[in-house]
Amino acid sequence: MLGEFLHILAAATISWILFVTVDIFFRLPEAGGVSGASAVARDIEAGGGALAGGTMMGNIVCSPDASAGTLLAACGVYAAGIPGGLAAALMVFVGNRICHDPGYAGTTGAVLATFVVYAFTLVGFSATDFIAGMVIAILTIQGLSHTHASRLLDRLWRARQ
Amino acid sequence: MIALYLVAAIAVFAAIRVIIEKNTARKLPYTNVMNFAVAGALVLLLDHPLSIVAAAAYFVGSTLEANAIASTYAGGMKR
Repeated sequence: MLGEFLHILAAATISWILFVTVDIFFRLPEAGGVSGASAVARDIEAGGGALAGGTMMGNIVCSPDASAGTLLAACGVYAAGIPGGLAAALMVFVGNRICHDPGYAGTTGAVLATFVVYAFTLVGFSATDFIAGMVIAILTIQGLSHTHASRLLDRLWRARQ
Repeated sequence: MIALYLVAAIAVFAAIRVIIEKNTARKLPYTNVMNFAVAGALVLLLDHPLSIVAAAAYFVGSTLEANAIASTYAGGMKR
């Protein structure tokens, strides 16, 4: 019971690092992919947050990014192993095109996450740990405090520049 | 089993945050969390290899809806 809980917390940390790294590498905080992403960023900034962090959060809302890729890859690995994860990556790719997203953060995140999740299933983790872990990871960015999350992402974005 | 309860609890928490939040644009990140949690719960509940297709279809569809709501809120398409 406690072991599973600790596995979920560890998976949440790994997923958090994975998706934030991929999203920042693909320059999600730089500009809104669609006008809606910029609107979310503007309102987060108006609420006391940072614009670059808000832009990344807006982009996460408006198109499947690396966080969605990580979640669906974990779901894919749970349902059907590595082929399931790669099928999820393909569906994220289609989702990106449907959502008018020019980037490849989601697809790259899904492919990377497929192998990361599979590797961790070999050392005692379960893919379900990563499904719950990714939901916790996205909760910390999008669901607790937009002000603090956007400032943290802004700081990481400045470090990348 | 903990994973499923945790994911379901986060979905309910996010839904409550959506209702409480007044600003339309700032509701969307909470909706996003709820969509993540529902997509995760779908796969955890349905014990079938094709459940990934259901989760991806739900997630991409809900993201597209959030995209449409946000873009309409931003003033729609500029012609």
